[in-house]
Formats: sequence, structure tokens, C-alpha cells
Amino acid sequence: MPCGLFFETYQKDESIFPTLWVRGWMIALGIFLLAFPFFAQTVSDWVGINMLNMFILIFIFLVGAHGLNLLTGYTGQISLGHGAFMGVGAYTAGILANLGWPFWICLPAAGVVTAGVGMIFGIPSLRLRGLYLAIATLAAQFILVYAMRNWEHLTGGSAGLLVPTAKIGNFEFDSDFKFYFLALAFAIGATMYLKNVARTRTGRAFVAVRDRYLSAEVIGVNLFKYRIMSFGISSFMVGTAGGLWAFYITIISDEHFTLWLSVQYLAMCIVGGLGQVLGSIFGVIFMVVLPEVLRIPTELLSGIFPNISDIFASLREMVFGIVVILFLIFEPDGMAARWHTIRAYWKLWPFSY
Amino acid sequence: MKRTVWMIALLAAACLVLAPMAMAKEIKVGGIFDQTGPTGAVGADYQKGAVAATKFWNDKGGINGDMLKLISNDYAYKIPEALNLYKKYKDVDRVFVIQGWGTGDTNALRPLVNRAKIVFFSASYDGNLTDPKKNPYNFFIGTSYSTAIRLAMIYAKEQGAKKVVFIYPDHPYGKNPIPAGKDYAKKLGLNIGPDEIVSLRAMDATSQLLHMKKFNPDFAWIGGTTPSTAVIIKDAAKHGINTKFMINCWGFDENLPRLAGKAAEGRAFGMLPVAPFGADVPGMKAVVDSAGGKKYTLHYVKSWVSVMVMVEGLKRAKKAGKLNGPGLKAALETLKDFNTGGLCAPITYTGSDHRPNTTMAIGGVKDGKIYLVKDVNFPRKKEYIGW
Repeated sequence: MPCGLFFETYQKDESIFPTLWVRGWMIALGIFLLAFPFFAQTVSDWVGINMLNMFILIFIFLVGAHGLNLLTGYTGQISLGHGAFMGVGAYTAGILANLGWPFWICLPAAGVVTAGVGMIFGIPSLRLRGLYLAIATLAAQFILVYAMRNWEHLTGGSAGLLVPTAKIGNFEFDSDFKFYFLALAFAIGATMYLKNVARTRTGRAFVAVRDRYLSAEVIGVNLFKYRIMSFGISSFMVGTAGGLWAFYITIISDEHFTLWLSVQYLAMCIVGGLGQVLGSIFGVIFMVVLPEVLRIPTELLSGIFPNISDIFASLREMVFGIVVILFLIFEPDGMAARWHTIRAYWKLWPFSY
Repeated sequence: MKRTVWMIALLAAACLVLAPMAMAKEIKVGGIFDQTGPTGAVGADYQKGAVAATKFWNDKGGINGDMLKLISNDYAYKIPEALNLYKKYKDVDRVFVIQGWGTGDTNALRPLVNRAKIVFFSASYDGNLTDPKKNPYNFFIGTSYSTAIRLAMIYAKEQGAKKVVFIYPDHPYGKNPIPAGKDYAKKLGLNIGPDEIVSLRAMDATSQLLHMKKFNPDFAWIGGTTPSTAVIIKDAAKHGINTKFMINCWGFDENLPRLAGKAAEGRAFGMLPVAPFGADVPGMKAVVDSAGGKKYTLHYVKSWVSVMVMVEGLKRAKKAGKLNGPGLKAALETLKDFNTGGLCAPITYTGSDHRPNTTMAIGGVKDGKIYLVKDVNFPRKKEYIGW
């Protein structure tokens, strides 16, 4: 029995699930995720949170967060416009669906249109970096939200746009139970994609651009191409997430896609861990679950102190901010890094040499 | 000594175990309120009123023995958050009645509640919710915004107005009654100027008002909430604009004289669907008592009435033995001239018309206080159902 991991071929070194143990856990997770909706109601009643709804939101935002992680974590380009990009996807899907296009065309179309928009707004990334790029993408955020609000005959203005439920053939995803599997499929797809893209030539080019763009250019990485490509892929993913969201909540308005959403996306990536697939997963779970969990004490205590919701209503945002700050101070590499530390600890326990 | 401690501990434990068993059946009510969002300035009092009214009815014995449990949550005026709360109330708490808030989210939830047969009381008095053919499960207790805007136009006409302008935030709440108002203003032969957009969180309305000054209307409609209304009125006074303002029901309350000061006097006129807090009407005593010495605004009264009407509906539904969504809807539609003790005009719902009433008061400001200018009534015509 070997006392560590010893890979003898490059294929083994590069494999996604290197050990039997990991593969076992992955299968267990898969079974859990597939079986979860069947006992979601029981869990919901027990914890007082609508579990199915929460999981679906996690899956949808996971697709988008993976997209932003590719851009910010892997390629090192900051974007404050991903909330609006998600909106572009949502509106594209919604408008096309209202025109009677089938769901399985609407969703890719949402991705493609958003990718186009993202690439246009990504052009400044060639000359701008860091804070300056943040401001340029911030402009994208405001321009796009302004368009969503004021292009009324297309987007319905501030009253919002009704979106029909998703349908493939005669199968309608009209309940949370059915939609769960759809969202799960997309979440798994996006996760596998990000995990794989990082190992390709393109992915290595992205990382090279992030780590030192000058050296990258010297060794022959086309900066323009890879930066725009990164914006494109990232926007495609976040646009698909937007489309999914639109089909899930069936009404969208520009208020869904404010700067706050962009900041939340960035927070997901940073709290979870930039440049790591696990990072966006942890980040999304954290960001979706936290507000729901913070609601529980309010409801439990409201029987005893009827006015407690006054205090907790404002406390929620504060707790949210404090938690993000604490993470940045004590675990700047995100939850994924902490996860690795914990895993390493148990791997060597009790002889942590 | 030790024994007493043990006894107390045992008693406490027994209470904890037995308490849920001793409690009667509970009727859960979902609450979607805005306490911290853009409309939080008026929403906070609304939420407090709903909580206090629930407690009041529970102290009086609930729904013939069944206690109400209002699950109050803040959604900060965000539609996605309202959808989340709705899904929780529907699937986890399994409510069949919800006390909701804004126009945007009520309209977003409209198809869902009507499919799920959940009675939805909104604080949005949006006229298009009043058509039971489209929205059988939507109810509200105040005179609808479109009725209010028509009454405001009539009042303006009576005061000799020739030109009117509409000022509103670019929000479903602000925009919804505008077509009804313009339509009616045209019917009355009023000249309509260009619209002005003032957001709910505006700190300054100078540019909009200076633009409006060119048209120089006699009357202007404000479709915002109290803080933004105060900003508009103060800026109007600063720039010597003599236009009088007719204000929708969420923009005119006891706080307006405090926020706008002297500027509001003779300039601000509010459409009041309910009596102001502390008004001299029979039903107000319970409302004031429930506040525990605190002074709230008329928004507190609105939610109080909303809960009162809901309780009446629930009682009738229980009597009919159908304590569920369709049962409550049917029970509410039997309300005919339901007397709220003068808190608002008598409420009537029918199977074909969910307008609660078409009577309201116009309020003005004098010496830092609200006073009633006059009661106004719009004929309950069929053609105005649903908008």
C-alpha cells in the first residue's frame, strides 16, 4: 500500500478524479443530487427553508459564477458588468420565448447574444487593466440596465417581461421538481466545462495572461485574442444562467440585474476562491444559503418578540458584509483554500508531519 | 432550595413540551413587506400595523379559536426576493393567504398565486388587480390608484385647473395609474404637459421642476412615496412654483408636514384611502391602543384594515367550513358594505368586481398637521373595472 499519490503517467496526473476514493465520493454526491428532490419536501418542512428553490438557485448561479470565475479567476480580468450580462441572457431568452421559439434554441441563443455583448464590452480590456477595466465594465452595467429599462417595446420597461415556462417537445418544466433536474444538468455541464477548459492550451493561455501578461505575450500568447475569448466564454456562461433564471422565475425586470448582482457575483468568486472550480461552487452555496439561514432566527423569535424583524431586516445585510470582510481577512484565498487545508489535515492525521 | 430549582426546571420543561399541544389550530399568513428597501419609509409602518393587527385579533380569540400566525419577512422591494418568499410560503409554510406589498412584485406573483389559489392581499392598489376575471385571487382594501388619479383630476378641474402634469418614479407603482389619469384628464378637457420622472430615492428634483415650470401647470400628480414627495414639494417652494400637487396614497402621510415643513401648506393634497392615524372615528381606538403609545402614520392604518378584512373573510370562510384559498376568496366576495369602523369607506367585493370601494378623502396640510379637505366619490362604473 503506497503512503501517498504516485502517478506514473501524465494522463494519471491530469485526471480529474485521481483516486478511487474521490471517485467514490463523486458518485455518492451524484446519487445524492439526483435523489434529493424526492425528499426535498421533508427536509424543507424540517428546516423551514424551501430546499428545492434554494438548490435550483444554487445551480443557476453556479453556471454564472463559473463564467465569472473563468474571467476573473483564470484570466485575471475584473468585470463589474456580469449582473447586466446575466440580464442580457435573460431578456434574450425571454423575448425569443415570447416570439414562440422553442426552449432549446432560446437558451443557446441567450448565451450567444450575451457572448457577443460581453466581447464588445471586453474590448477595453486590451488597453485597460485592474481598476480601469472595472470602471469600463461598470459602464457596461449601467448602459445595459438603462437599455433594459427604457427599450420598452422590447423589454416591457419597468413593469417587467413575462416569460413562458420552459418546454422541450411536450414536456413542460412547470414545477420546481422538474426544473431541478434541468438546472442540475446545466450546473454539472458548466462545472465540467470549467474544470476541463483550465487544462487545455486555451486555459493555460488564460492563466499566463493573468499571471504576467508581458511574459505571456513574449512567449507567443495573443493577448487580444485570449482576453476577448475569455470575455466571450464567460459571458456565454453567465448569459445561459440568465436564460435559465428567466425560465425559472417566469418574470424578469431590470431590477433583477442591478450592480448589486454584479457585486454578488464577484463576492461569490472571492469568498469561494478565485481561479478554482471548487471556489465558485462554495461561493455560490454560501451566497445563496446565507440570506435564507439569516431569516430563520427572525421567524423563530417573532413569536416572542413581534418587532424583531425590524432589527433583523437591517441586520441581514450587515451580517452579509461582515462575513465577506472576515473571509477576506482570515482566508483571502477563499473557502476552497480552507477546504484544502481541512482535507490535508485529515489526510495526515494523526501524524501531521 | 435545590428542590425548588428542580421543580421550576421541570415545570419549564413541561411547558415547553405541552405548549404546542395546548395551542389551537394555527392559520399561517405569509407576509412580504418592505422595511429596508426604496419604499421602506412607508413600508416599515405598514409592517408594524400588520403585526399589531394580527396580535389584536388573536387576543380577541382569533378566527373563532384558530390563531393567526403572521410570518413577516422583509424583501427590500426586490422582485426575486419576493418570489423566493412566495415559494417558501407556498411549499414550506403552506399558507393560503398572503399579505403582500408592492406593485411590481404583486404583478409578478399574480399568475402564480392565481394558479396556486392563494389569496393575495396587496398593499398595491393597482387598478388592474381588480378584475376577477383575470386575477380572481388578488384583493386589496384601498381605493385603487386609477380611481384615485381620476378623482384627483376631477378635483383639479373643480379648482379651475387647465393644465396638469404627471410626476412619478419609473416604477410599476408610479407608472400604473398614469394611463388612467391621462385618459380621464383628456375627458375632462385638461391640457397634459410632459411627464417628469422623479425616482423614489431622489434627493433633488430641481431639474424636473424647472422643466415643468416651462409648461406651468396648475396641478401636478405625484406618484411617489413620502420622502421623494417631500423633496419635490420643497424644491417647488424654493423655485417659487405655484403648482398644486395631488399626491398618491403612499406619498402623503403624517410625515410629510415634518419633512417638507411650510412648503407643504396649501401646496400638497393627498389622496387618502384610509383615515389618518388617530383620526376621530369609532374604529381608531383599537388601532391607537395597539400602537402602545407610539405615533405611526396612516400606512399603519392601511395594513390594519387589510388584516381586519382578511380576518372577516377567514371567519366567514370558517363558518362555511372551507378554510382554504378558494373558500376565503368566496367568503371575501360576500363582503357587502363591510364596516371598518370609519377607518376607510365601506368595503364591497363581488365575484365580478374586486374594487373595495370608490370613495376616499382628499387631505391637505395646515399648521404642520393633516386635515381633511373633502370626501370624494367616484361612481362605481363597470367600464373602469381592471384599470
